[in-house]
Parts: sequence; C-alpha cells; structure tokens
Amino acid sequence: MNPGDRVRVDRADRTLEGVLLPSSTDENLVVKLEGGYNVGIDRGEADVEVLAEDVYEIDGTGSNGDDETSEIAFDDDLPTITLISTGGTIASTVDYRTGAVTAQFDAEDVLRAVPDLAGRANYRGRVVANILSENMEPPIWQELAAVVHEEIEAGADGVVVMHGTDTMQYSAAALSFMLETPVPIVFTGSQRSADRPSSDNVMNAVAAVEAAKSDCAEVLVCMHGSESDDICALHRGTRVRKNHTSRRDAFETVGAEPLGAVDYENEAVSFRRDYQERGEADLALESDLEADVELLKFTPGMDPAFLDVVEGSAGLIVEGTGLGHVHTDLIPRIEELIDDGTTVVMTSQCLEGRVCDRVYDTGRDLLEAGVVEAGDTLPGTAKVKLMWALENSADVEEAMGTSLEGELQERSVPWE
Amino acid sequence: MSANEETADFDYEALGLVAGLEIHQQLDTATKLFCQCPTELRDPEAATRTFTRYLHPTRSELGELDDAAVEESKVDREFEYLAYDSTCLVEEDDEPPHELDEEALETTLEVAQLMAMEPVDQAHIMRKIVVDGSNTSGFQRSTLIATDGEIETSEGTVGIEDLLLEEESAQRVAEIDDGVRYSLDRLGIPLVEIGTKPDISSPEQALEAAERIGMLLRSTGKVKRGLGTIRQDVNVSIEEGARVEIKGVQSLDDIDDIVRNEVARQATLVKIADELTECEAAVGDRQDVTDVFEETDSGVIAGALGDGGSVMAVPLYGFDGVVGREIAPDRRLGTELSDHAKRHGAGGIFHTDELPAYGVTADEVEALREAVGVDPEDAVAIVADETEVADAAIEAAGERAETALEGVPEETRGANDDGTTRYLRPLPGAARMYPETDVPPVEPDPSDVPEPELLTEKVERYQDEYDLSSGLAEQVAYGKYMPLFEDVVADGIDPTLAASTLESTLTELRRDDVDVETLTRQHLEDVLGLVDDGELPNEGVTDLLTALATDPDRTAQEAAEEADLGGADEDEVRDAIIDVVERNEAQVEEEGMQAFSGLMGECMGALRGKADGDLVSELLREEIQKRS
Repeated sequence: MNPGDRVRVDRADRTLEGVLLPSSTDENLVVKLEGGYNVGIDRGEADVEVLAEDVYEIDGTGSNGDDETSEIAFDDDLPTITLISTGGTIASTVDYRTGAVTAQFDAEDVLRAVPDLAGRANYRGRVVANILSENMEPPIWQELAAVVHEEIEAGADGVVVMHGTDTMQYSAAALSFMLETPVPIVFTGSQRSADRPSSDNVMNAVAAVEAAKSDCAEVLVCMHGSESDDICALHRGTRVRKNHTSRRDAFETVGAEPLGAVDYENEAVSFRRDYQERGEADLALESDLEADVELLKFTPGMDPAFLDVVEGSAGLIVEGTGLGHVHTDLIPRIEELIDDGTTVVMTSQCLEGRVCDRVYDTGRDLLEAGVVEAGDTLPGTAKVKLMWALENSADVEEAMGTSLEGELQERSVPWE
Repeated sequence: MSANEETADFDYEALGLVAGLEIHQQLDTATKLFCQCPTELRDPEAATRTFTRYLHPTRSELGELDDAAVEESKVDREFEYLAYDSTCLVEEDDEPPHELDEEALETTLEVAQLMAMEPVDQAHIMRKIVVDGSNTSGFQRSTLIATDGEIETSEGTVGIEDLLLEEESAQRVAEIDDGVRYSLDRLGIPLVEIGTKPDISSPEQALEAAERIGMLLRSTGKVKRGLGTIRQDVNVSIEEGARVEIKGVQSLDDIDDIVRNEVARQATLVKIADELTECEAAVGDRQDVTDVFEETDSGVIAGALGDGGSVMAVPLYGFDGVVGREIAPDRRLGTELSDHAKRHGAGGIFHTDELPAYGVTADEVEALREAVGVDPEDAVAIVADETEVADAAIEAAGERAETALEGVPEETRGANDDGTTRYLRPLPGAARMYPETDVPPVEPDPSDVPEPELLTEKVERYQDEYDLSSGLAEQVAYGKYMPLFEDVVADGIDPTLAASTLESTLTELRRDDVDVETLTRQHLEDVLGLVDDGELPNEGVTDLLTALATDPDRTAQEAAEEADLGGADEDEVRDAIIDVVERNEAQVEEEGMQAFSGLMGECMGALRGKADGDLVSELLREEIQKRS
C-alpha cells in the first residue's frame, strides 16, 4: 500500500474509496475521495484493500504528469533576464510530511506557474537554493552574489531573484554591498502562496521582470504597493523592511517613499528619486563577510550577561532605545567589549529617524566608550553592512557612519 | 405543445429519473468560520474601503486543472471588493485563516446526528477552486464532516451522502467595467452543505426531502433565517440523459417544478438527438458572413458592425425547425446555444428558425443561407459582435449544437425564477480540490453533541404542555423566534403571552408597516419581562413594540417611560375611570351595570394600554355601582 494507490477502506459500518495520500501522522491514513475531499481515517480501526496501484504518481514535487517544456525560442528583440530561485512562497507547493507549504520549484517551474511572464524577455533560469527564507544563511548570500555576478557577466540585462519574504531584506542588503552592478537586480516573492488563485506571485513576478528591464541599476525589492493588484513598489534593497506578517503590501521603505513603482495595468516603471543608471557602474564582486557579528535588541530588564555571549565577537549591532541608548549600567561592559576589539554600532529600535548620542548623558557616555553611530541605518541592514565592512572596508568606523549603498540617509526629509 | 403540458404525462419510473439534492444552509454563529468577525450582513453603502484583485487558476495537488475553473478564467476579469468595519484581513485574503470555528463544528455535528450520519475520524479542510471572484482567495474552504446518513420520506428512505462545513462566498453587488463588485460581509459565514444520495425518484419526493432536511436544520435553532440563508441545488438525470447540477433554487416550493422541467428538457433533448441522428445532421465550419449584413436594418447587427465588428455564422445541417424547438417553457434549443455564446461575451445568437425577425429581413435570411451554402432542411446560427467575441461565441454555439447530436450534456445550470434553468458552466471535478494548508485538520468529537428536539416534536409539546393552539404552536416552532420563545418560557414567561407576542403581535405590526426587524432579541425579552413583572399591561405590548421599532436605540424600559406606557398605579387608573363615568353620567344613572361594556372600551381607550384590563374592569364596576 503506497501513496498514489486507489484503495477501499472499511471502517466500522462505512466503506470509503479513494486515492491514498502521503499521511502527516502515524495514526491516520489520508484518503482523497471521489469528490476531491481528503479525510483522515484511524489506521488502527481501518481495513484497507488496494484496488489499483499507482493511479497517481505522487512524488512530492507537485509537477507530475507535466511534460511541458519551458524552452522558449530566443527573441533577439527582447532583453535577457535571469530568474534565480532561492525557494520561498513564490515557488512553493504542498509538503505532505508537514502538511505545510514548502519550496520545491526551480526557475523553469516558475515560468510554468506564471505564464504571464512569457513574451516579456528571454529567460535564463538558475537555482541557488531551495529553502524557506528563515533558513537563509550568509554563505548562501555569497553564493547568490556569485551567481548573479556570473549571469551579468554572461550578458543578462537584468536579474530577478525569487526569494522568501521573511529575510528578503537581509539578502537584498547583502547583495547591495557585495555587488557593483551595471544592471538591475530585483528581489521579489509572494506573501500569499503560489498555490492559491489569489497569490500575489503573478503580479509581483511580472512587475519584477519589468523593473529588471528598467534603467535603474540597483538592488531593488519589488512587492505589492497596496492591498489591491494595481501597483508594485520598488524599494532600495538597503532601506526596505517587511512591516506586516501577512499583507501583500508588507514591504515598506523606512523613512521615505519607495524609490519607484511598477503600474500593473500599463506596466510602466517610474522613479521618484535619483538612482544609479544602467551601465553607470562596472560589474564587481566583493563578497567576503565577517560571520561573527551579532544584533542585540536592548529592552528594560535585560540581563547584562547577554553581553558576555558576544565577548570576542568581531562586531555587535545594538538596537537601542530612542536616540540610541541602553541602560547606563551596561556601558562599562560595552566599553570592555570595545577595548577587547569588538566593533559596537548603535542603531535605534524606533526604526524611523537617526540615532544621536550627543543629546543625553547616556549617549555621550556610549560615544565615550567607543560606540559607533549608524545614522538612520536600519538595524538589520546595519548588521549585514558591518559583516561586509569588517572584511572590505579600510576604515570600518567611517564606513558605518557613511552611506555606501543608500542605506544611510544624509538628510532627514519629512515624507509623510 | 409546451413542455409544461407534456410533463404531466411523464412516467418518471420508466424514464429512470434519478435526483439528488444539495442543501446549503447558513449557520447562525457568533463569528465567521475562519475569523472572529461577526456574521452580520451590511449595506454596501456602509463599506469603509475597497480594493481590487485578479485571480489565476492553479493546479490541484495531483497536478490537474479543473475544467470549470479554466473556463471561468478565460474571461480576464477584475474584481472589486467592499470591506467594512465588520470585516478583517482574513476576508481580504491578507491574513491566514484562524482555526475552524468551534461553534460551527458543533452545530454541524448536531445536524449530522439528526440525519444519523457518521462523523469522519479526521476532517481535512479543503480548498475548492472558484475563480469567479466570489472568494478573495480564489477558493472556497470546505470540509467533509460526516457521511452515510439517511432521512425518511413517504416514498421511502433517502440516503445522505455527505455533510460539508463550508464558508459562504462574497455577495455579488454589481457588474462593473471589466469585472464584478463583491461585498465581503457575507464571505466566511459558516454554511453546511447536505448532499443526498441519488435516491429521489419523483419531483414530489424531491420537494418532500428538501422540506424534511429544512425542518431538521431548523430544529437545531442555530441556523440563519430569511431570504438567501438557505439555497437548494438539485441534481437530475434520466436514464438516457445526463447528470445536470442545477444551482441556486431560492424557493423550496420550486423544487418539484424544477425537477419536472428538467426531466422534460432532458427527454426532449434525447428526442431531438434521435431525430438529428436519423437525418444525419451535422455542424459545419464557422464562417464570416459580415458582407450579407452590410446594409442591414437590424439594430443589434448594425450596432456591432458600426463598431467594426463582424457577423459570424455556423451552418447546422439538418437542424431546420429543431433549433426553434421548445425544450422547456419559453426556452428553445436555440436558447441553449445562445447561453453558450453569452459565456463568451456575446449578447446571444440569432438562428434561421426565428428569422426573419429582429430587423433581419427575409431577403437577408435568403442571402445568409446562400452565403453559408445550406439547403432548406438546414439551419444557420449567427452572432454579431466584436470580431474576436463573435468568433469565440459562434464556436461555442456550434460546439453546443454538436452536443445536441449526442443528447444531453453533463453541465452545471442555474435556476431561473420561473422554474426553468440556464447553462452556467461545465460540471466541476475533483480536480478543483486542494488541501487548505493554513488550517490543521480537526478531529470531530460527536460524544458531547446534544440531540435537538425536532420541530415536529416541538409543535406537539407546545400544544400539550403550553396549551397553545395547533396553529400558533406550529407558527412558533417553525418561526424564527423559536429559540427566543424557548428561552423566555424557561425563564418563567407565560407561554401564551410569549407565543402570541412573538408571532401574532409581530405579524400584525409587520402588516401595519412597522419595521419589526429593528427589534433586537433584548428588546423582545425585556418587553415580555415587563409584562411578566406587572410593569406593563398586556394591552401595552403593541404600543411599546411600535415605539421601540421606531427608535431601536432605546431600551424597553426607556421607551415605556417615554411613551408613558404602563406604570399607571391604581389611583391614576381610578381617576381616568371616574372621568369617563362622569362624562357619561346620564347613561350610568339610566342603565346601571348595563352601561359597563360600552364604558369599558372607552376607559381602555383613555388609558391607552397603560393599565391592565382586569384592573380597569374591577374599578369600573366599583365606580358604576357607586352611582347607580
């Protein structure tokens, strides 16, 4: 008896017929009945007879019986866009083991899943990872950056990275620092899984491809700009943050309007502010990272022993309160860490606004102790940046206080 | 002869009629099936936000696409949704569903028990793909809760195949440019769907089974009442016909007519197929006949051509006279072809059995026949519209004509108000089912489920225990205030008072155009309580309910005080009576106690419901006695 077999199950006074599905527990058989409904049946109580073997091929890829090919004729008039899959909701299907949605498609499947992408570009597909984005790790950022570099070198006119939304902002920031790019690198994903007709994956993917064909040679995040299927916002990879757990328009640029937008109806790509234009920069890759950097959010009542954990670390981002503060009692310990060689950088848990440690005594004491201010850099971005700067910048402290890739706004311009 | 006259003669057994029912009933739960929003309907005007979406069909977990979903999605449409302060991100498909509502599951298990059904060990929430926009997600969540039940009818046992717990879809508000506007208030209200086995063998049995199921559902006291809260689908086939699902029969009383008409339709289609086969009928290739109508006076055709459109035709060899054949009251084979053309955006078709008409002249019909190259025994169907639409529509009409050669097509049809049906879409298949990964399976526990008293049993008990007349007992038991009646009677309110107030009084007020729907459960409970406490005389109930209905923001107590209803103490009552008696002094002196009945009416009028009749009567007697 295997998943995919047609079975008859006798249970008490009842007989059910259907296709056996992979079950999520040892206690239950799961059978898909004639009408399409799945039911769970107590294994212990059930008498199972196999009527026919392998009626359906259930290999867990969700793409069985599909012989379509994604090879599309090359069109000289269209730009070439590389689609890179890292997994995540935009390319996900059901995992029978957990019953949850998991990432299992490669880039070709994405083309199949999003037929609307056809005719917009010549596509190259690459798979860098097949993970949920909460499982993303810095070595995969490095691999991703290398693949993007390869693809641009090979002539891609733009790159679209399909990425889970949970940590998309970190990956986008990482690539912002690692790559000098002459073409757009656009991250996109979906908040609602691709297995539902209402998924935002179609519109986000289409808009991302349009952005990747545009003139803006930066690392961007392209996601829904509203709850409607009307506009996708284009965010700079170093200023973007996922600000909602489930809404389509969860991604926001912090401290400013998004850099640009893609109109879904007329497919126009527009920008609000200056950006690095296509071809302006020469392609370059600097992907070394210092792995030993931590991010610590200070909250009232924090055990000072938390700071012992980072002893000997290369870097520490503190997400302080307000203008950039921690409890006064922690300052001597922070000073010890700095004296010991750890770079300690201050950001704010307010997210909006810049840190300023010259206003209150606590701040002045922190500066005195050697803490570096990161302006209005987002805490998450600051962590990625410090990992990168520790390996690639001659003067780390200066780098952390300067905008390298638009992550630190020199002027705080009211925008709302 | 119309199809209706014919139906009377049908021998349903000989025809092999097999029918089944699907009854959809909204549950009256506090919150929706997958979120904590209330299950209340709203006026579209009260919408606080709108947003727009598109839907794209997806594959089932077995890798299949559903025919119905694919056909629906061929029409690229934009959906606009109205959101309210009573809806949340779950309805907007912008937040994962919460866990299955327990109250709804309990009620469903109660229904299962009433139909002797067996709950499943583990219920898996499924997604039924529906891409017409009526669900923001693109699917309806549906869960199989129980199987294998039965109900009794006078013509025998009808098996109950399955009991599903589903979420209600969004209400269609309007057609808009390029799409449809839906309202989110209804989306997510729990709904049970009861599917019978195809054990029904006559139109009358279909009606009886539907009534029986309706009674069982209402016996729980936990289902919604009123227009649109229950919908019936009917599946009908005859032996030589095919399974046809008829959706959305709004009125229970129409069920037998729907079955009769469908049998007639299928029987006629079978006959047509036989005739067509005999004369070797066939459907030809579609062709552009725009030239024929260059100078036409037909408004429909000229309009389409004026906009740069085309007239497309399909020759129907051997169909002359058949396209115009009536297959249901006022519906012809041509109407079926037309329904298919409409699905592809056309306004409909014209065919030679009905022409010349609609501004199309006899000469044009002749020219059309010639252009297409058909003989007198053939027919021609045409569509005039934008070229692309006309082409797709005539292809669809031709395909439907082709099916007529084989007999009855399996399909989903919609119920019309007149008891006929129209083509909606292909039958949906199992391919539209996908597991709902956002909600874990639940294990129904039927052990604690109360067994509700049936409404039929309640009618008996109300008569025996409460001494209600059979008519009033039935009104209360089947009425929407049944749960309230039971609660207040349990609290000690006089059953006759409660029954006559909740049924007779409210019915009278409704007839007098008092908006009794604004009265809350609390209002009714309080009014009955005031009477029970002696604070309001029976006679004041009508006035107090009227006052409350006019201004429902007040409590019953406040309204009673403002309207000066009740609370009249004995002295006030006596004063009023003395007034009346003194006004009629001559009569009292002359007639003595004989004047009582005439003056009683005047006193009650003067007190306008502020005093109890018994008290007025007692005091009036005293006052008359004093003076005679």
